[in-house]
Amino acid sequence: MKQWIRWSGLISFVVITALLAVFFIIAAGPLAKMAIESVGSDIAGAKVEAGSVSLTLNPIGFEIEHLTVADAEQPMQNLLQFSRATAELEFVPLLLGKAIIRELSVDGLEFDTARETSGALEEEISEETVAADDSDSGTDQDKLPFSVTELPSAQEILAREPLQTESAGDAFEQSYKQHKADIDEAVKKVPDSEALASYEDELNRILSGRFDSLEDFKARKKELDALKERMKADRDAVKAAQRAVTDAREDLGDKLTALKNAPGDDLSRIKNKYQLNAQGAANLTALLFGSEAGEWAGQALYWYEKVEPYLSSGNDDAEGDTPQEPERIRDGRFVHFPTDDPWPEFLLRKARLTASVPAGELLISMEDLTHQPAVLGRPAHILLNGSGLHDVQDLSVDIVLDHRKKPANDTLTLTAKDWHLKGMNLGLGGTELDSAMVQVQGLAVVSGGKLSAQSDMQFGQTRFTGEGKTLFAKELTRALQSINQFDVNAKASGGLKSPQVELGSDLDSRLSEAFNQRLNEKQRELEQKLQARLQEKLQSYTGEYADELAQLNAMDGSLNDKLNSLQAMNERKLEDYEAQKKREAEEKAAAKREQLKDKAKDKLKSLF
Amino acid sequence: MLDTLAKLLKALNSESAPGQIAVAFSLSLIVAMTPTFSVHNLFILLLALVLRINFSAFIVGFAGFSLIAWFTDPYAARLGESLLTNPGLQDTWTALYQNDFWRLTAFNHSLVLGGLVISLLAFVPVFLLTRVLINLYRQRVISWVNRLRVVQVVKASKFYSLYQSLAE
Repeated sequence: MKQWIRWSGLISFVVITALLAVFFIIAAGPLAKMAIESVGSDIAGAKVEAGSVSLTLNPIGFEIEHLTVADAEQPMQNLLQFSRATAELEFVPLLLGKAIIRELSVDGLEFDTARETSGALEEEISEETVAADDSDSGTDQDKLPFSVTELPSAQEILAREPLQTESAGDAFEQSYKQHKADIDEAVKKVPDSEALASYEDELNRILSGRFDSLEDFKARKKELDALKERMKADRDAVKAAQRAVTDAREDLGDKLTALKNAPGDDLSRIKNKYQLNAQGAANLTALLFGSEAGEWAGQALYWYEKVEPYLSSGNDDAEGDTPQEPERIRDGRFVHFPTDDPWPEFLLRKARLTASVPAGELLISMEDLTHQPAVLGRPAHILLNGSGLHDVQDLSVDIVLDHRKKPANDTLTLTAKDWHLKGMNLGLGGTELDSAMVQVQGLAVVSGGKLSAQSDMQFGQTRFTGEGKTLFAKELTRALQSINQFDVNAKASGGLKSPQVELGSDLDSRLSEAFNQRLNEKQRELEQKLQARLQEKLQSYTGEYADELAQLNAMDGSLNDKLNSLQAMNERKLEDYEAQKKREAEEKAAAKREQLKDKAKDKLKSLF
Repeated sequence: MLDTLAKLLKALNSESAPGQIAVAFSLSLIVAMTPTFSVHNLFILLLALVLRINFSAFIVGFAGFSLIAWFTDPYAARLGESLLTNPGLQDTWTALYQNDFWRLTAFNHSLVLGGLVISLLAFVPVFLLTRVLINLYRQRVISWVNRLRVVQVVKASKFYSLYQSLAE
């Protein structure tokens, strides 16, 4: 047996193994420090620096002192930092290269702390932040229902706005001129009063006295027919003139109505455009709370985007049913089986972080954080508890990151009870929510990259202040000061990077009402000025033609009289002539009857 | 590497038992066919050091078989995958998976299992073949090779001097 054993080889093995172990113990700390700083910087996009990292042997783990993570967007600020962290590792998985942290404890976690040196990575230094700051300015201005600077005067508004009053006035003017020409032309052909009198005289002459003979009758008849022809032509002329006047009156009447309505339409349009009515306040909630809500959502999204890529690597096909990419086949893979103690490549079983934020102490607990959730078979849990905060009686944020199956399903539940909100700058007119007692309930679900979130906030005991100098800011502050409670509900849905955000509130209606009252006076004043100016413009059109329009009416009446007169003359002469003929025939018949009667009497007398 | 090759040639030409060299080659096959940093390879290394086998042959064999493994790894991984996902073996694997020792062996890694199965199956044939080839080499090839002009040229080279110095 001895001849098969090489004792020197055994000693070599033991020595080599011991040397490797010693090397690992000595180098592990610095190597871990390098790895944390290098990988951390890649993830954060800014410097990650650790004061020291040392290996602990019982239990096996690492101790990290003073770690800072710079803010990529504000390099002179730390995104977070902590004074001390201890990570307890599981030994057996570690031999397989699997980092399973049984417990992580982080003390003195702080956010947004100042740095003495820039935390930007060498190649990352750029002017992006400056550009971003510049682009932010004036955003609110663009969204305002009207300028926060002084409102333009009525004269300025009228000068810059295309007015319907002007276009309607021009149309009326042109139309009047056209009709005037037509009427003048028609009126020229209408007989005057002298002509009508001569018709009367001539008619009386023709019809007066008895017809001496048939020839006399025929001569008069001929004369009468000629007179009738002339009168008929004149009557047609009168009718034509009357028609021209009627057309003018109808057309000008329509145009005058449009012209008279135009100032009202102009005023209404200008009012809507310059949002002088209550509609302007309808979206004020979004303007007031939009920037703040956007900032909160932005921060949440920032952290989510940082974490999300590491929640599932796509390499966690636990049951071996996911086909591998061809280039990775040669490397092989771990096939996992059901167990109570799965070993993903990385797993943070439990973490307990205490964070100092300006509002107080936050306790953050994490469970089952891994990039291979399918291997672990459990979703990750993050719980933020803010029961020790100064301004919130109870704050609870429960985050469940379930990436076991695709699509991933992440849920955030937020509850804040009796949040004493102080000094919240609102995004409009320099107003500030000085104090309020807020209750918040929120639920956000991200599934397959789609966000669906809803949050309800009840603001009570509200007190608003504002130092705005502009008319709008002053009016807004006064309107807000009359409100002492309101609700805000926010909804977000759609793509994670650009969700559709809706902010609704009964503040809109309350503010609208209060705002309207405050604005009414100024609004009425401006509206009156606008109305006066528009009336002036209306008068400049209608005033000039008022006499002409009155004349048209008078002319219409005059023409009607003339037409009636001609008609009457025409009808009267026919009646007189026929009556005469009939009377003479009747008289003649009666005389003959009397004559025959007398003759008969005489004959009867002679018989007796 | 020249040194190691020289030592191997010395072993081949010496009176070292062919079995010692053949076992070294066979053990190196296991290390080459499976991921190097595996727990079982630590055990193989221990064997290679402790057993009186030719360590130079182990190293050269590892280098040579690693080249072959580069081509065979995908097949080994597929074999491991098919074994690990074989429904008939699920109970066995699941039972082994509950034990930390077996998990430490990374038996559930497709390339480890596939490579190990191939290398264990090839262990005995490689052992026997190597032994036969060494015997053939010693009996027939050496004298024939020595007569070759190219070998005579090699003998005049620096490598041969090194070999000679080690052989003495």
